[in-house]
Amino acid sequence: MSHTLHRRGNEENLKEDIIVFAMSAKGINDKNSKDKLQHFLRIMHRHHPVNMGDMKTGNLFSAGAENIIANVQDTSIVHAVFTSKEEVAKVIKEVKEADLGISVIVSGIMTDVHQICGQVGIKPHTVEHSLGIMGKLSRLPEDELLQITTMCGHGMVSSRLARKMLLEVKRGRLQVEEAAQKLAYPCVCGVFNPARAAKILSQLVDLWCLDEF
Amino acid sequence: MKIDSQKCVGCGRCQHYCTMGAIYFRQTMGKVHAAVNEEECVDCGVCERAKVCPVDALYQPIHDWPRSIRGTFSNPLAEHKETKVPGRGTEEMKTNDVTGRYRPGFVGLAVEMGRPGTGAKMPEIEKVVMALAALGVEFETKNPLTSLIVDRKTGKMHPEAMNEKVLSAIIEMLIPLDQVPRVLQAVKKVAAEINTVFSVDLTSRADENGLSPGALLAAEHGYKISINGKTNLGLGRPLAREV
Repeated sequence: MSHTLHRRGNEENLKEDIIVFAMSAKGINDKNSKDKLQHFLRIMHRHHPVNMGDMKTGNLFSAGAENIIANVQDTSIVHAVFTSKEEVAKVIKEVKEADLGISVIVSGIMTDVHQICGQVGIKPHTVEHSLGIMGKLSRLPEDELLQITTMCGHGMVSSRLARKMLLEVKRGRLQVEEAAQKLAYPCVCGVFNPARAAKILSQLVDLWCLDEF
Repeated sequence: MKIDSQKCVGCGRCQHYCTMGAIYFRQTMGKVHAAVNEEECVDCGVCERAKVCPVDALYQPIHDWPRSIRGTFSNPLAEHKETKVPGRGTEEMKTNDVTGRYRPGFVGLAVEMGRPGTGAKMPEIEKVVMALAALGVEFETKNPLTSLIVDRKTGKMHPEAMNEKVLSAIIEMLIPLDQVPRVLQAVKKVAAEINTVFSVDLTSRADENGLSPGALLAAEHGYKISINGKTNLGLGRPLAREV
């Protein structure tokens, strides 16, 4: 499923939101892929991602990096989130050199990702684009909150929690970084970007007036 | 999900985690406690996994068919027996370098009902499936939602599933490139007839410039394409043979 697609945002904040992930294809190259997926995750971890995870185990905040790596299985989908395309270029170069033979996918601003591909000598194989949201749009929360909640493509981060965290920051009960980590917690795959969430919350704290809801 | 009213102390810590806003408060024998609106709850398990309940009052009963649909589609930790893929979709483009599922000249189109964050009831999903079935699209057989379509020609879904609601479900199909405008037109039309939202995406084998022929065609027909997206780097082995 497209769990890293459909992330809402603008060029300024999406450029700091890049996910690199890997998986094997069931019935083709999945047998004994565990070691390769662990190798992939170790490369990711060396480059200090702001989040990482495997839905079978959890994310950086709920499970911790060592647990995530140790519990990888052949059927895992393993992820890491970065905030700079320069770092991702280094990561991809290293992954390419490791020649693991598993599928590697990068989610981010397409022009940035393809620039990285060019630098590293990779020709993109398959691409996927969002065409946005259709239907009864009046049922959606404010787009600023969607920029936070859509960072978990499985929908595990509720807009009510995002609003609550913003209120807690405004009341001085939480720092933005703490609030962002609490928002990252329910996203079991570890694809939620807490650094980007903290930046969005910081902007909203000044702009939004909130009462109890 | 259920909340044990005897244990619950009514602190409300779980309420904000609910993806569907289904946790509310009520009074029983003079005691205020949280409860779950079972009609709206999609059994995603987020409230329980958040581990915020100080008295362990939340618990997930094991449901039989058809209620079991809710958890299977809404809780990403539930692995589908048929596909062995956790989550609510398939491997789609993520392993296309190895599977060769999306070939040049074809486009993968996915309509994810209920995303972001509104959820979708089965009758709403059926409306969209029927609109697409009328065009003769090929639904992805490995997608768990396809198994609930009892007549792929009409798009009619399993009648026993009609009272269920899910956090999201993906209608996944493969269409010839030249059909993209026609199918998107139908998607846009049915979008005006439903009481929920959906997210739409297109997958294409990259052209020689790394671009998506499907997205380029959609853009030509006035659809706004996101600046961000997913790129399969083609590092998987063995590489799929392309006919």
